[in-house]
Amino acid sequence: MNPIKFLEPTNFTEAISLLDQHADDAKIIAGGVSVTLMLQQKLIAPSALISLGHISNYAFIRHEKDGLHIGALTKLRDIERSDVVKKFCPALAYTFSVVANVRVRNQATIGGNLSAADYAADPPAMLTALDARVQVQGAEKNREIHLSEFFLGFYTTALEPNEILTEVIIPTLPSSASAAYHKYTSISAEGRPCVAVGAVADFDNDRKCSDLRIAVGAAVETPQRVRDAETLAHGSTLTDELVAAIADEYSLRLDPLTDVRGSAWYRKEMIRVFVKRALEEVRCDR
Amino acid sequence: MILNVNGSRHEVEAGTRTLLEVLRDDLGLVGAKEGCGIGMCGACTVLVDGKPISGCLTLAEQVPGKEILTIESLEKNGQLHPVQQAFIDERAFQCAYCTPGFILSAVALLNENPNPSEDDIREYLSGNLCRCGSYQNILKAVVEAGKRLR
Repeated sequence: MNPIKFLEPTNFTEAISLLDQHADDAKIIAGGVSVTLMLQQKLIAPSALISLGHISNYAFIRHEKDGLHIGALTKLRDIERSDVVKKFCPALAYTFSVVANVRVRNQATIGGNLSAADYAADPPAMLTALDARVQVQGAEKNREIHLSEFFLGFYTTALEPNEILTEVIIPTLPSSASAAYHKYTSISAEGRPCVAVGAVADFDNDRKCSDLRIAVGAAVETPQRVRDAETLAHGSTLTDELVAAIADEYSLRLDPLTDVRGSAWYRKEMIRVFVKRALEEVRCDR
Repeated sequence: MILNVNGSRHEVEAGTRTLLEVLRDDLGLVGAKEGCGIGMCGACTVLVDGKPISGCLTLAEQVPGKEILTIESLEKNGQLHPVQQAFIDERAFQCAYCTPGFILSAVALLNENPNPSEDDIREYLSGNLCRCGSYQNILKAVVEAGKRLR
């Protein structure tokens, strides 16, 4: 077997032309957590690894007019600890603080986390609830993809083979809105969620809910919202009864997967519990 | 490829081997252990530019030019690092397989936060697993090391 080439471009344009040259046979490596794991388990056998480790200026967190911009190469640990993120949305900083362990967070990048599209991850559910989108650079053009259209299935995204995620943009929440992330871990020794729930709610002056977005991840292939359940809240106060009804609807409508962290049946029950808790938290804030 | 490990430069042929494999097999630095091999247990913890990472989830190719520290670097002139001494004084191990990882994580924690609460310590070290269950003594050792370092 030929040794795997380790290529170190210094900008995204160069990285994309290397991807083009290697067709489907190259793999992008950023922090390395996910790629090293797949290499070790012999799940991938690329001819080349294209490392993003020498690309500068893409580890940034900036609060701009249209929202929070996070560079693809920003480490999860830096997002978790960022005062800008904590001020922008405490639930988002919290989400990153509960990913795996401190070592993984020191290494893993937000771009890598999303591009790997590992279903058993924390950020995708919260970022989907926050209506985030990603900037993508390709050989000919750049484009934006909403996260709701980014995850296509297990380890599969809308990225073309010669595209790279460069930036994540999270729209600014109205000051009347609140957000929460609830994670359920069923195996104490590992940090991966069995169920992940991101919730964002906005309220009008009489504490009636004007907007609600709940994304459930980890229990399903890709983060899922149940629009019919969300609209139940519109124009209403989030009473205990309404919260229970929305949680029931999520549990009923989603089709969870079975893995080592829980059966489909168990996950349906846990979705009910954790959607309820997330709603109680966003409600409580107001 | 040149790796800077414990202050010395080492020329290695890494291929796509992990940092952990290169440290153990090429450099003979066997303090970092393989436990789970998937970044969960922390037995392979090493410090890269001062931050704890999993040696098993890092390719050696990713770290040339960075400062890599293993447990072997902590003892200076026959003098144990205060965190090492505190682990002995508090009997913070039984089989000791996890100990190098715990000590390096604790060193990084105390560099980052010299006065951590017990909850801060539990949270920071939650990704290091001790299958003998010495957690209470490990907690005491890190508290004690923090006092000695301050």
